Amino acid sequence: MRDDPSVVALVARVCGSDQEAWHELVERYAPLVWSICARYQLDRGDIDDVGQTVWLLLVENIRNLREPAALPGWLATTTRHECLRTLRAGRRLDLDGLPPEDQLPADPFAVPVEQDVIEAERNAALRAAFAELTDGCHELISMLIRDPPMEYTSISATLGIPVGSIGPTRARCLDKLRRSPHLAPVLGLNDDIASKGAGR
Amino acid sequence: MSAQEVSWGDDELLDALRLAVRARQAVPADFVSAAKTAFAWHNIDAELAELTYDSARDAEPAQTRAETATIRALTFTSARLSVELEVSGGSVLGQVVPAQAAVVRVRHHDGAESAVVADEIGCFLIDPVPAGAFRLQCRTAEGTEILTGWFRLTDGG
Repeated sequence: MRDDPSVVALVARVCGSDQEAWHELVERYAPLVWSICARYQLDRGDIDDVGQTVWLLLVENIRNLREPAALPGWLATTTRHECLRTLRAGRRLDLDGLPPEDQLPADPFAVPVEQDVIEAERNAALRAAFAELTDGCHELISMLIRDPPMEYTSISATLGIPVGSIGPTRARCLDKLRRSPHLAPVLGLNDDIASKGAGR
Repeated sequence: MSAQEVSWGDDELLDALRLAVRARQAVPADFVSAAKTAFAWHNIDAELAELTYDSARDAEPAQTRAETATIRALTFTSARLSVELEVSGGSVLGQVVPAQAAVVRVRHHDGAESAVVADEIGCFLIDPVPAGAFRLQCRTAEGTEILTGWFRLTDGG
């Protein structure tokens, strides 16, 4: 996972002053930064400040990243750090006032950075794979992941396909999704899964 | 990752995709577009001056006398140049060290900027105190250029 070639390539392009690559990188990791800020229960103004600080730090330091593949971990760690700093500055979290023996755990919102990173990478890979599905599959899957999911009868009416063919189409589309090369780095065992899916 | 996590059946895959799409939809469009504007800073080659002193952070409470408590003092240091700031009475009094003439730019996230001139003994005045987060870019008459880290002197956004 640390060796996801698409992250390394993205970082290399940003270092080469490719603005489009920067936009892709932001699209890919904005949910990671946002979700961490949301977990720290910052208000919108503070989230915007943390976001700006994090992205600016990244754009200034991206050439110094020792290991480009570690970028998501860097983003998660930096975002947490900035969230904590914001909370402390607003005296909403007076951790510094505690005696040293009480300062651990210093971060009441902490979940392992690795967990945030794995989730972000998996989500980004799923979105990338989803975006590359054919129009028909994309449309059907979009209806199925709505909250609440659309009923088969409404899907049938909307797409003009028989109710009976929705199930098989769903399986075929999900199999395509599962086989997407985007999912290989986050799953590691993609071929194995694809064959398992096909055999069901 | 464990073996269990990768054996997604159709329902698990659909659930995972639902979460992934929802995580992206939760992010406001202007949060993303603001992040994209940060690219404007990608090629700044000025030397970075780090915050080496901030009275709000570093002063020992016991040593802070009542009459000086309202003055915030900060120092940004780089190898070649330092900038000292004192905030009081709604403005910022600055000093370039070693003392020399310079142009000091106040730069904000969104690209907005203003400039003041430091006189031959390195003194400059920023009035009023800039709102929100900003940084100072300082270029001396001899061409030395430094950039401070981001900081803010006002409360809130």
